[in-house]
Amino acid sequence: MKNVTIYSTPTCVYCKMAKEFFSKNNVQYQEFDVAQDQKAREEMVEKSHQLGVPVIDVDGEIFVGFNRAEIAKALDIK
Amino acid sequence: MYDLIIIGGGPAGVAAGVYAARKKIKVALIADSFGGQSLVSADVRNWIGTKSVSGLDLANMLEGHLRDQEDIDIISPTLVEKITKIDVGFKLFTNDKKELDTKTVLVTTGSHRRKLKVPGESEFDGKGVVYCSTCDAPIFKDKTVAVVGGGNAGLEAVVDALPYANKIYLLVRSDKLKGDPITQDKIKNNSKVEIIFQAEVSEILGDNFVTGLKYQDTATDQAKDLKLEGVFVEIGAVPNADFTKDLVNLSDYGEILVDHKTQRSSQLGIWAAGDVSDVIYKQNNISAGDAIKAVLNIYDYLNKL
Repeated sequence: MKNVTIYSTPTCVYCKMAKEFFSKNNVQYQEFDVAQDQKAREEMVEKSHQLGVPVIDVDGEIFVGFNRAEIAKALDIK
Repeated sequence: MYDLIIIGGGPAGVAAGVYAARKKIKVALIADSFGGQSLVSADVRNWIGTKSVSGLDLANMLEGHLRDQEDIDIISPTLVEKITKIDVGFKLFTNDKKELDTKTVLVTTGSHRRKLKVPGESEFDGKGVVYCSTCDAPIFKDKTVAVVGGGNAGLEAVVDALPYANKIYLLVRSDKLKGDPITQDKIKNNSKVEIIFQAEVSEILGDNFVTGLKYQDTATDQAKDLKLEGVFVEIGAVPNADFTKDLVNLSDYGEILVDHKTQRSSQLGIWAAGDVSDVIYKQNNISAGDAIKAVLNIYDYLNKL
């Protein structure tokens, strides 16, 4: 099982789409709300060198935004 | 060969898909995604029949209604990159290297966000330059931001930023706001908001992230600077009509010119509806209605072939 982290905000639609995608494919993930969590926000910026959400970390591979095809590939989902 | 291929998965495309499927013609719908531009709206309150719905829920409702139809091929996520004319109808080329033939085409590809095209904009995309204010406003908690654009999208971006930012400049090119009065009232009376009229953004400044913005005050012809961390760009939309331009006539803004009685383009066999067309009012409900009008006219056309 790959280690999946998503940095999100409560209002971000693409974050919701990503999380729905994870749930549908039984992918366990950890979520940080960067609107509330200052430490997570810094971590997200450090990992992605940018400020937009979502940022998705799949075993250290960093994705900015939610591109279904890319994330599916990283998670070996067909 | 299809009777009709609908391109696009917004309110126009889905409305057309539902109507076309019920006509029992051989139809396909090709869409990159569903829901259209309202997908990123936190709350849509004018989709008729629904008091309040999020953009994502609206997208799911639309996609669900379409997928409930039996007599339609749904090809998604797929983009149409090119259309060429063939003997009877058209050939569509997709980004996954498929070729599809059809007698008629309905283009409902909507539009995408217009960019400022100033130095620093692409460099700081995601590093303070924001195109989805709903998504990213919370990141700018206790920061200073500028919203560029005095239309509805600009005003709504200010509303998105209000709970988070400690100062919001609204930069407007003309000397008045264009957005809905109800939203204008919401922001005009807020002490966090400073509206700057006749401001033409000339550069976005920064190091690793945005640190400021330069603009020309066109009233006094003076260059001015603002110190800030975020720039929300909300200056309108560009129609996604480029792939049709060899076949149909476009307006000066790049919209597909249509006959508003039938939604026909200048090319026999191609129709367009929604924001990609030269409809005056770009609205979800209007897009859906215009697309239905197009399908009914396409049905008449097919019956006479």
